[in-house]
Amino acid sequence: MTLQRIGLVAAREARAERGQPEGLIGAATFIAVLIFVESLTIGPIAASHPATAAALYWIALTFAAILVASRAFDRELEDDAIDAVLALPGGRDALYAGKALALTALLAIVALIGGGLVLILVPLAVTAPLALALVVTAGVVALPPIVVLTVVLALRLRARGALVPILALPMLVPHLVAATYGCAAAASGDTSGAFAWSGLLVAFALVYWVLGFTIVPAALE
Amino acid sequence: MISTTAKTTSALRARPFLGAASVVALFVALWMALVWSPPDAAMGNVVRILYVHVANAWLAYLAFVVVFLASVAYLWTKRLVFDAIAVASAEIGVLFTGLTLVLGSIWAEPTWGVWWSWEPRLITTAVMFAMYVGYLLVRNLSDDLERRATRAAVLGIVLVVDVPIVHLSVTWMNALHQLPSVLRPDLSPTLDPSMLASLIAMTIAFTVLYAYLMTARVDIERRRQARVLEARG
Repeated sequence: MTLQRIGLVAAREARAERGQPEGLIGAATFIAVLIFVESLTIGPIAASHPATAAALYWIALTFAAILVASRAFDRELEDDAIDAVLALPGGRDALYAGKALALTALLAIVALIGGGLVLILVPLAVTAPLALALVVTAGVVALPPIVVLTVVLALRLRARGALVPILALPMLVPHLVAATYGCAAAASGDTSGAFAWSGLLVAFALVYWVLGFTIVPAALE
Repeated sequence: MISTTAKTTSALRARPFLGAASVVALFVALWMALVWSPPDAAMGNVVRILYVHVANAWLAYLAFVVVFLASVAYLWTKRLVFDAIAVASAEIGVLFTGLTLVLGSIWAEPTWGVWWSWEPRLITTAVMFAMYVGYLLVRNLSDDLERRATRAAVLGIVLVVDVPIVHLSVTWMNALHQLPSVLRPDLSPTLDPSMLASLIAMTIAFTVLYAYLMTARVDIERRRQARVLEARG
């Protein structure tokens, strides 16, 4: 029953995004601009270092995730739809997990766009593309639970725009480090290193999803 | 003066005694740390920063674990006293984490030759500091009493994950920072006995100080809560 509700919230989110793809367009544009400006600021030679390129990519993707998640909850608040969902039995669990699930799907698209842009802008020869895809997939799956958690905690608060990154970024430090080093390892051909970092990201994803699903619905009001 | 309907609790009655005990304990611990304990063979008198630095770090750990326990208790019972305990402990924890970073930096300059190094213990401690500053921000930006308490409780539970990471970071990724000298996996401290005694005395003194600060801050928070509830009718 709960799984069905989660699926309904995620499907509703996908429909809303298809109807008005402001979140997706905003996040895609944001990641493109951020990667472009970051690469330009530090210069093409410095940006072509695998660890630097990976760090720029993950920082940009994290901010894009914050943008998309905030937009998803803004949409709920605009017409007070959130109150109706929360009033349903199991509505809190479904809202949290459904939003996180929908964010994962959206982030996968944004990650592809951002990744493609990094490969075009930065002269980076990726020697282990499959390992890179694995790290990016694990990293994308591990991002939403924490980002949605921070958006939920900052919901209806003053200065929410500043508060979400202040809360999310320190919590995401282990994730960002693992994802950056994993991508750097994959880009430089170190497949065993990339697999090890992917394993860590999968562990983070498990912990974050279980923790989020257990405790975050309590904060949804 | 804040008007209140909060009751006088046993913790409140114990506060003057805790205050006196913390002053005495701090004097004894400072005498042991600055006069009684010997200088280090390699670092000389600089080692005396250890006593306050480690005691500060211990207090930060203790404070954040109390935030976690109070947060669980609040979500379980919805009693506002646990929220008061959580905010009091979080504020003390942030203060002492900040002091740990500052004292560590002062100690690092003569021993490592730098004020700051990008090594695991320092980074994880700084991250913990930033996380709990965020916790206090969430609280301060929220007006509704119960909503604020619930959100803070959720955050207080999630953030405690960083405490063992900070402590174990030197074991997992050994860099510049020395390995634990007291809370070691094999439970055998590596310090000279007089240094260990001074460190334990300082830790006890800081713990008593924590108890004193907690009673004072919890009392203020309880009065605030009572005032809000009173205004609400």
